[in-house]
Amino acid sequence: MFDYTYLPEPNMVPYLVETMAKIIFIFSMNMGVFAPLLGWVERKQSALMQDRIGANRADIFGFTLFGLVHVMTDALKLLTKEDFIPRGADRTLHYLAPFIAVAPALVAFAVIPFGGQYNLWGHKANMVIADLDVGILFVFAVASISTYGSVIAGWASNNNWSLLGGIRVGAQMLSYEVAMGLTLVGIFMVYGSLRLTDIGVAQENFFHWGIFLQPLGFFLFITCALAENKRTPFDIPEAESEIVAGYFTEYSGLKFAMFWMAEFLEMVTISAVLVALFFGGWQVPFVSHAMLADLFGFLGRDWAQVATMLVHVMVFWGKVLFWIFILMLIRWSLPRFRYDQVMNLGWKIILPLALVNIFITALVMLWVK
Amino acid sequence: MDLHTEPLVLNMGPSHPATHGTVRFLLKMDGEKVLHCETEIGYLHRGFEKQCEAGTWTQVFPYTDRLNYNSAIQNNVAYALAVEKLLGITGQIPERSTAIRTIMCELSRMADHYTNLGASMLELGALTAFLYFVEARELTWDIIESVCGARLTSNYVRVGGLSTDLPEGFAAHVKEVFPVNRVFWSEFDKLLTKNRIFLDRMRDTGGISEENAIAYGFTGPCLRACGVEYDVRKANPYLLYDQVDFDIPVGFTGDNFDRYLVRMEEINQSMRIIEQLIDKMPGGPVNIDNPAVRNPSKEAVKGRMESMIFHFKNTIEGIQVPAGEAYVPTEGSNGEVGFYLVSSGGGKPLKCRVRPPCFALTQAMGEMVQGAFLSDIIPTFDMINLIGGECDR
Amino acid sequence: MAGNYKKVNRTLKMTLWERVYVFEIIRGVLLTASHFFPNLWGAARSYLSGDPSIRKIKTIYYPEEVPPIPEAYRGRPVLVRGADGKEKCVACGLCEVACPPKCISIVGAMREDGTRYPETYTLNGAVCIFCGLCEEACPEEAIVMSYDYQNLCEYDRSLMVYDKEALLIPEEKLSKRLEYIRRRMYNKCNY
Repeated sequence: MFDYTYLPEPNMVPYLVETMAKIIFIFSMNMGVFAPLLGWVERKQSALMQDRIGANRADIFGFTLFGLVHVMTDALKLLTKEDFIPRGADRTLHYLAPFIAVAPALVAFAVIPFGGQYNLWGHKANMVIADLDVGILFVFAVASISTYGSVIAGWASNNNWSLLGGIRVGAQMLSYEVAMGLTLVGIFMVYGSLRLTDIGVAQENFFHWGIFLQPLGFFLFITCALAENKRTPFDIPEAESEIVAGYFTEYSGLKFAMFWMAEFLEMVTISAVLVALFFGGWQVPFVSHAMLADLFGFLGRDWAQVATMLVHVMVFWGKVLFWIFILMLIRWSLPRFRYDQVMNLGWKIILPLALVNIFITALVMLWVK
Repeated sequence: MDLHTEPLVLNMGPSHPATHGTVRFLLKMDGEKVLHCETEIGYLHRGFEKQCEAGTWTQVFPYTDRLNYNSAIQNNVAYALAVEKLLGITGQIPERSTAIRTIMCELSRMADHYTNLGASMLELGALTAFLYFVEARELTWDIIESVCGARLTSNYVRVGGLSTDLPEGFAAHVKEVFPVNRVFWSEFDKLLTKNRIFLDRMRDTGGISEENAIAYGFTGPCLRACGVEYDVRKANPYLLYDQVDFDIPVGFTGDNFDRYLVRMEEINQSMRIIEQLIDKMPGGPVNIDNPAVRNPSKEAVKGRMESMIFHFKNTIEGIQVPAGEAYVPTEGSNGEVGFYLVSSGGGKPLKCRVRPPCFALTQAMGEMVQGAFLSDIIPTFDMINLIGGECDR
Repeated sequence: MAGNYKKVNRTLKMTLWERVYVFEIIRGVLLTASHFFPNLWGAARSYLSGDPSIRKIKTIYYPEEVPPIPEAYRGRPVLVRGADGKEKCVACGLCEVACPPKCISIVGAMREDGTRYPETYTLNGAVCIFCGLCEEACPEEAIVMSYDYQNLCEYDRSLMVYDKEALLIPEEKLSKRLEYIRRRMYNKCNY
């Protein structure tokens, strides 16, 4: 089980340095790599799925970089665009909404471990920004705040389409928030902890990965996660053919870009949670921490730990990328639900199934004991 | 205490992603439920019928392309058949010409259904399915382009014949494209037809009863989806439709899913018709041997005085059509297309009235979405396949 | 004739397979993935080898690659300049009459040797609908639809009004089209 000696030490300086490094790493990973890059991935991946080429015209001195330049031109365009606020809109709330939407997606990453625990030159490094003992509950709590962003955006725009979008967001999030919490109860029961690092350590054995212990929970969770992310099968709050663009109909420029970014960051967060809970987190399949450290033993004890850490972090992000790919595949393959059908699915199918899952898990655990 | 509530009035269109500038719905909503839907058309009115009166009989052809631009050749054919009926030469059209017209009509029907089904799925969010059908449609349009020189504005049919014969290698081109199109068809089918998300959107939405459909003047796939066995190609055969073997799909309940299935099956049946006709393509001329109706060949124009005179007279004064009126119903991809023509004798139509299929279908929009959800307007409106060019003329 | 009205293949109640979302969703995702990977492989190979023909994607990089134009294609209408350097047009005015949107206007004149020629020939490209009726009406094969479809649009409509000089194209350059319309129009009753 988790070694509690990795908790903050009396000597705060190395601890602070380490935390700052981790925050900078996660922040730059999210804002510098994923937020811009996912726009490109989405364009190119959907293009290849649909037998198209995808955006490739923007260039710098003739270099198109497979369409990557479009990301820069997009950013430039959105930066320089007029920031339009419709007449009759609530200016304060209209400004506030995109910030409320984007901040939780970033904050939720604080509790997700992107690596294990390592003993480096006597300093105990834990590859998670804040190792809260309520870990996953914090993710839920923060994620539900982002709903306010969308609802406020819908209300503050003084537009009927936005209002409809806002209402739809509210209803959808409410339904799936409940179901999502319940789908994960099985995981907590199996691993006996809410702390994500604990769950990560417990998945060192390949066959103890969440997907093998909780297959039903996995399917239910990925459905709820998609619904939370508001992407295609569940994109009713922003269904462009029905309610124009939903809650961000009246947004332009950088504020629009923030909603856009929030959507991509949520996707990264969801993939990260999926990996942390069901796909062994930072663990390499069939290779335990000790085995990996032995493999790098020729580097010396501390450097072996550093090498192990690098491998673990890379494996974690690799898994996240894989899940982003899967989420994109799903997003581009399916038509969207109708408002009432999403509610039906959430309350009448997923919620009972989640309860059944808890029941079955409890029975099996009782029997195993 | 009762809370004071009032319905939300929503102005859907003309600039709305789903109504693409051609129609406006004035919705009264109770939350997401549609209490009342008022349809307003006319945003694409160009005065087609009046325009026809200004030119000669031949000069109408390019403008008929702009009615239902997805299946332009069907409009060409419908107009040509009506003029030929006025002239009384319906039986004299060469067999090859009739066969080519049938093939081109069916190719247009395929293209139209590809576009319609694909675009509907686009608006339901399945962009990938849309692009698979767009690819199939592009291949179909490639065939049409190789025959008449343009993809949409075909301008292919003439009174008494065609503007040009089939190109060499046409049969080979068709036989090369159809297997590819069948693959796209089956992929589209796999992506959607059994998918619960799609079924939930299409099943039992936008339904209309058989009696009401007939009362509104429904024709085409939407009428057949209600279970009514009516297709002009069977009920009142024209061209070569009485000589080929094909089935007409008929639905059960008249909801959007039936309309979708009817259209999907019609694509297959169109391929079947084309494949039969290509195998027994009659030879011979494609134009009627009557210089007063169809211009004589260039050889004759250069060589013989009479032909030259006919060529000039046909072009300048137009074909001389005897006084009278005619209407020929044809099965367009969207329903019955017909031109009601009145001639006062002379080179120009006195009156040209189009019977657009989607006009009758659009009338029923209000009834079909009454009490449904806002989201149900999308598949219903798409399955009606309102073509602005045709509805507003 | 054989063939009849046939009911479509549907069940009035959803089958169990359809009711369970998961299987069909997995099938759909696998199908789109089966497009993704071959397309990625083909695009990568084509990029590395520089050979567009092995790209599995049918979309073309338009200005760099152009689609094949069929023989029948109707592009910008142009006037034919004969081998002797003179325009073939005899200013008979048939194209002017045949044009549905009336985009052609001709002023005819007489040469010293007694042959007629168009003094001015104006074709308003902004009004032209590319229907090809002028080509059909012309008794001299003097106006034909070329295969020219690129760079026809302008920011100013007055720039799209072509005069005689802009329209005249030497006969050699149009040989493919001229050959096509001769084949099409010279057979008896086989326009």
